[in-house]
Amino acid sequence: MYVGIDAGASATKAVIINKKGEIVSYSIVPSGINFKTSSEKALKKALTTSGQSLTNILYTVSTGYGRTLVNAKATSSEITCISRGVHKLYPKVRTIIDVGGQDSKAVRVNETGRVLNFVMNDKCAAGTGRFLEVMSSILGKQVNELSTLHFRSSKPVKISSTCTVFAESEVISHLSQGSEIEDVIAGLHEAIAERIYNMSSRIGFEEDVAFTGGVAKNQGFVDALSKKIGLTPTLPEEPQIICALGAALAAVKKHKESTNYS
Amino acid sequence: MEYFSKASDVKAQGKPVAWVTVFTPVELLYALDVYPIAPEHFGALCSARGFILDYLEEAERSGYSQNLCSYSRCSLGYALSGMNGLMPPPDILVTFRNSCDVYVKWWQSLHMHLGTPLFVGEAPYVLASEDLDNYVLDYVVKQLHQLIKMAEERFGLRFDMEKLAEIVKLSDKASRLWFETLKLRRFHPCPLGGRDSASDIFPLVVMQGTEEAVNFYEELLREVKERVSRREGVIENERFRLLFDGIWLWYAFDLIKYFENKGAVFVYEPYSEAWAYRLDASKPLESIARKVLAMGLNVDIDLRIERYSESVKEFKIDGAVLFSNRSCKTWSTPQLVTADILEEKFNIPYLLFEADMADPRQYAEAQIKNRIDAFLEVLGET
Repeated sequence: MYVGIDAGASATKAVIINKKGEIVSYSIVPSGINFKTSSEKALKKALTTSGQSLTNILYTVSTGYGRTLVNAKATSSEITCISRGVHKLYPKVRTIIDVGGQDSKAVRVNETGRVLNFVMNDKCAAGTGRFLEVMSSILGKQVNELSTLHFRSSKPVKISSTCTVFAESEVISHLSQGSEIEDVIAGLHEAIAERIYNMSSRIGFEEDVAFTGGVAKNQGFVDALSKKIGLTPTLPEEPQIICALGAALAAVKKHKESTNYS
Repeated sequence: MEYFSKASDVKAQGKPVAWVTVFTPVELLYALDVYPIAPEHFGALCSARGFILDYLEEAERSGYSQNLCSYSRCSLGYALSGMNGLMPPPDILVTFRNSCDVYVKWWQSLHMHLGTPLFVGEAPYVLASEDLDNYVLDYVVKQLHQLIKMAEERFGLRFDMEKLAEIVKLSDKASRLWFETLKLRRFHPCPLGGRDSASDIFPLVVMQGTEEAVNFYEELLREVKERVSRREGVIENERFRLLFDGIWLWYAFDLIKYFENKGAVFVYEPYSEAWAYRLDASKPLESIARKVLAMGLNVDIDLRIERYSESVKEFKIDGAVLFSNRSCKTWSTPQLVTADILEEKFNIPYLLFEADMADPRQYAEAQIKNRIDAFLEVLGET
């Protein structure tokens, strides 16, 4: 068995695959403040689900912000892992838009899944999952409620500030002026979609386009971004684990290389 | 460091000290016996040594916005906090409007805060190399005469053309030696990396025309030649040869080491060439005027791109790292145009990241290292 661990800013994901690259099990746990603990927890959970034990693991590759703090034989960057993970599942995809807790990225890949170009958000967190977390707490909602509320909106409000802190006061002012909470939520989804659209336009949207990352689980956001780009995206069943899947695939490759040498 | 302490000694002897912007012709000031020091250099030094926030925050307390250039905030904060550090107070403020759009207003602000006499020179933008031969050259020469006159009247100094010719000769020699050294970076493995080029440039920025600078570059050239003959590189296993576009991140200088640890070495930076210029000692003033016009960012983007294109071939560049600098809009704005050309014409992948050259608060280390890792992986696959 091979393991990929994606120690992300907000969640840590573990994926176990067999040597054919098929997913055996996976888990998602909050990252908290200690990547070592969260990765151990994620791995244990995935092992339990699949009934595997630590001794069956041949190779582990880590990725994500905490990649160097995790117990793994090698590390790989998220860009490469996401591309590898998406290519395995959807070989026709040429553009990937990944929105995670702290980063948003757009990646162009070729027919073999090799990265041609990528862009990432700047230092600011406005186009990321963190933005939605902050906003949902102001609205007194859970992040997983945002999607349902989004589709109840009839006239989304316009959030013009690109800064998380200023957008917060804009949201409060919309609510105090009597805007419906669902219209504010839809407005927030549109604002973040617009930001990601602008960033990704630099590398273009060659089809097929896939959305990945934790934020792609939010159907409201997916709806806003799809409309903005003007096409229907490929959406993995569990978009949050694609990067960890790519790391696991890298583990297969690295293991093969290391055994060839020895 | 020595250069700043020397400035204090010079001042104690009663000689005038000038605060200059870094594209000011310091050869002329040395010829007048006015000692030039560069607040931009001071900003880089404070940032590298980790105490720039004292001055940045002083400027911010006075109302200067964090969105302004960090070098300007540093010197304004220093001026407002009594100038008790390394850099002695100025007797004259000298700037030329070339390269940087902030210079004039920045120097005027220092003038308003300190009441020190101010000289502002103007250098028209150079669209093509032939521009240097038309009326703009006379225009700049006339201003050099004005600066001479101002210094003579203010400080009772006498300008000596022969002395200037000697200084110009030394300045030219230092530039020639430096160009020759930079050319050696074309070798595999590269004998001089980004960490060296970034610090070795300083004598050329502020000490052009001095014996010390010439001695320094003679010694450096000898050293680098020896490294080439021993096939000694900055890193053992040279996987990638990179271009760096921008000013270095002084507080995060280790970032260069981070690249090197991953097998990537910087072999070319426009920054390293910005102060090197060949001068003709038989026409000292005219020659200096040409330099004022052609330095740094005062030239058209086409001329810059031409130089980039040459460098890609000359130094066998695999990838480009573009640092979008919050402080320097003049440098950062055309970066995408440059990147497109590198990519389309030479198939050179690039990495663009954002931070500030001197203000450590604008730096997100984990994010930037994340991008570097991804970029080097992409390069490794091509």
